[in-house]
Amino acid sequence: MKYLDEYRDAALVRGLGERIRATATRPWVLMEVCGGQTHTIVKQGLDELLDDCVEMIHGPGCPVCVTPLEQIDKALRLAQDPRVIFTSFGDMLRVPGSDCDLQQVRARGGQVRVVYSPLDALALATRNPDKQVVFFAVGFETTAPANAMAVWRAKELGVKNFSVLVSHVTVPPAMMAILDSPDNRVQGFLAAGHVCTVMGWTEYEPIAARYRVPIIVTGFEPVDIMEGILLAVTQLEQGRAEVENQYVRSVRREGTVPARSLVEQVFELVNRKWRGIGEIPGSGLALRPEFADFDAEFRFGLQDIMVDEPAECHAGDVLRGQLKPFQCPAFGSSCTPERPLGAPMVSSEGACAAYYNYGRLRREVGATTRAEWGSAESDSLTTDDSPLTTDDSPLTTDDSRLTTDDSLVTVPVPEVPR
Amino acid sequence: MCLGIPGRIVDRRDDRGLPMGVVDFGGVRRECCLAYVADEANVGDYVIVHVGFAISRVDEAEARRTYEVLREMSQLDELDWMREVADQGMSMLGSPADPAAAARETGG
Amino acid sequence: MTASSLAAGPACPLPIAEVERVQLGHGSGGKMSAALLRDRFMPLLDNAALRRLGDAAVVPVATGQIAVSTDTFVVSPIEFPGGNIGSLAVHGTLNDIAMMGARPRYLSAGFVLEEGLSLDALDRVVAAMAAAADLAAVPVITGDTKVVERGRADGLYLNTTGIGELDPVLRPSPDAVRPGDVLIVSAPIARHGMAIMAAREGLAFEAQIESDSASLVPLVDLLRGDLARAVRALRDPTRGGLASALNEIAAASRVGVLLHEAGLLIPDPVAAACEMLGLDPLYVANEGVLTAFVARDRAEEALAALRSHPLGANATIAGEAVADHAGLVVLRTRIGSRRVVDMLPGDQLPRIC
Repeated sequence: MKYLDEYRDAALVRGLGERIRATATRPWVLMEVCGGQTHTIVKQGLDELLDDCVEMIHGPGCPVCVTPLEQIDKALRLAQDPRVIFTSFGDMLRVPGSDCDLQQVRARGGQVRVVYSPLDALALATRNPDKQVVFFAVGFETTAPANAMAVWRAKELGVKNFSVLVSHVTVPPAMMAILDSPDNRVQGFLAAGHVCTVMGWTEYEPIAARYRVPIIVTGFEPVDIMEGILLAVTQLEQGRAEVENQYVRSVRREGTVPARSLVEQVFELVNRKWRGIGEIPGSGLALRPEFADFDAEFRFGLQDIMVDEPAECHAGDVLRGQLKPFQCPAFGSSCTPERPLGAPMVSSEGACAAYYNYGRLRREVGATTRAEWGSAESDSLTTDDSPLTTDDSPLTTDDSRLTTDDSLVTVPVPEVPR
Repeated sequence: MCLGIPGRIVDRRDDRGLPMGVVDFGGVRRECCLAYVADEANVGDYVIVHVGFAISRVDEAEARRTYEVLREMSQLDELDWMREVADQGMSMLGSPADPAAAARETGG
Repeated sequence: MTASSLAAGPACPLPIAEVERVQLGHGSGGKMSAALLRDRFMPLLDNAALRRLGDAAVVPVATGQIAVSTDTFVVSPIEFPGGNIGSLAVHGTLNDIAMMGARPRYLSAGFVLEEGLSLDALDRVVAAMAAAADLAAVPVITGDTKVVERGRADGLYLNTTGIGELDPVLRPSPDAVRPGDVLIVSAPIARHGMAIMAAREGLAFEAQIESDSASLVPLVDLLRGDLARAVRALRDPTRGGLASALNEIAAASRVGVLLHEAGLLIPDPVAAACEMLGLDPLYVANEGVLTAFVARDRAEEALAALRSHPLGANATIAGEAVADHAGLVVLRTRIGSRRVVDMLPGDQLPRIC
């Protein structure tokens, strides 16, 4: 796929890894904000390429992970209402509420449908006039223009049976909350490329200046992430603290103006609770009074639901980068992907789920070099003992015996034979 | 956040005042809302699509330029990488006893 | 169909010849059932055993032990690019028998029809079943039909059971894989699951993706005889995709599996559809893919054998069994890093993040 495949080029990725290692004169700590970036880093094993020179702390950029417990419970309440068809992005289906999740509600007979786009939910409403269709409007600024348009269109077309349950959060206040934290270790950021596609990067300039941290607007493919890290490390080595754009093919300084404009017309900034973190002022979006009719919380009388989070789940500490998932007492015992306590274990790029899978390899394979996974000597996952970097590791097998036909391995995907 | 993938606009139309279009993603086509890029993107242009909405037009000239810079910058490292690949036996082509051959066959 | 005719109950007053849709009467065992069998099923599935229409079919088998497999198909929509539930059900059960190294000999078919299902759709399903069975030379020797009220059975549920004769030498087993064995994947992956997604409402997009549903029996036949002793395990990775199948084998054999990303083929539109929905092709269902663990010294021969057939033309060596990380499947990415490929707790869900 064009503008995707080129940014997965293995030679480029490894070349950039070399450059980063050559540029860093000391170890640096960076945070990638966006869950999509975490996903790429873990899936492609990019932190293995960074050895000891860069530690990546996974940021709270997973709207699934940070949706407050009470919003999930409101969603569950709506999904169980026989008048309602509850629609949502797939991500939310297995996030645990206080006692169950949307998938379980569906199993018990609730009408829960996964949609790809908020406009699909609106279309569902027009096709089912005798039902109430509620859409779970979750996301960061990237998704706000889509959700805003769905509400705008509903009003424009006079659709009476459509409403949204809003749980929108914004990135800059979260970054500042992390930077304000007394035990913050983050020295530079990879900003979320699609959030910035919509919003531009002007909001990050004062943050970079005030906290003296480089902020690199970064894309999502392996080449993007590595280039973003290289730019951040270069700035840190040079003592600079600026906003720089790596994701030039998609992001401009002013963002996508028509999108920002509609978001501003439909939503307003409010204080929002982040699951596991608590309330961050001015970090959320809510529907403006002119659109209150489309707010599911008002339509169904759910505004007053408040829920406390279970003490055992340390999602907040993980999301703030204070705790590595394996340091959480529940990790791998009472909290696993099959029975998650909190969202970072559910979401495909939640830090806990990532570490659970990825970490198993380290535990089993690194056994000869480290007594215990996550040993106290090093916070970083990538150590010199990593089997991938030693030549005598049993795992770097001789692959040359495996294939007989070179062409099949080096040629990109052929046509489906039919 | 998240899943925004690049695709090429192959068709544009108006749905009761809302600019919509068909975007092709490497052989898969989907209807997407083009309202946010209506002024700058046309049939044939690439856009980034998130949850059925085009959120930006891909700046192809910028993309080409920066990609070339990137390639050049890591060019010098390619030989090192090829050697590393051969040493670790990661090449699936030649026999590891002949790293030079493996390095030649790995290509770029 | 009017409310009053529904209220009349199973003894439908309408003349049999004029019905366009399945009605409860078709499952009652009376004249309507007989007519459905006679006019719709028999002409297509016709064979000697079925024609006798006994309560059970009586057929000979050549071996002292037989392989038996049963599978119920509930796919929705029942028709999709590349096939329908009928062909899927035949291929699926033929493949399950074949994965034991056995030769499929007979099939049974149990239908649960939803009241209101279009008879034309039913015809297409049965026709596809018959075509698939004929191609494999495996007759459907017995069957059953039930009808349930509107709103149940999602159109049509279909169970097929297969009987096969064991091969004297080819006896693959999921617990027989040893370190050093080579993994061959016979075809590009993730086609069926994405074809179904594309056909489903709500995630609707136009795609040139067809299900790969096919009988793998011809491919298994190529592994008999001289090669048979070297074939350790065979698996067709259906639900849960390649990742789940390999995890099961890794656990059963207590070996690690090292999977090479570069050795897997994914057609462009399938990859694109996976990107859009945030799905990992490793977990997407296949219905025409064979995975084989073969002793290392015969792997090249096995690969050549599979490639000699159109269904296996794009077979690749995609990995190997290893002594390390027993029970875990590890992927070596194109960039050379590694990560675990675990079983998923449930279905893979489309995501926006």
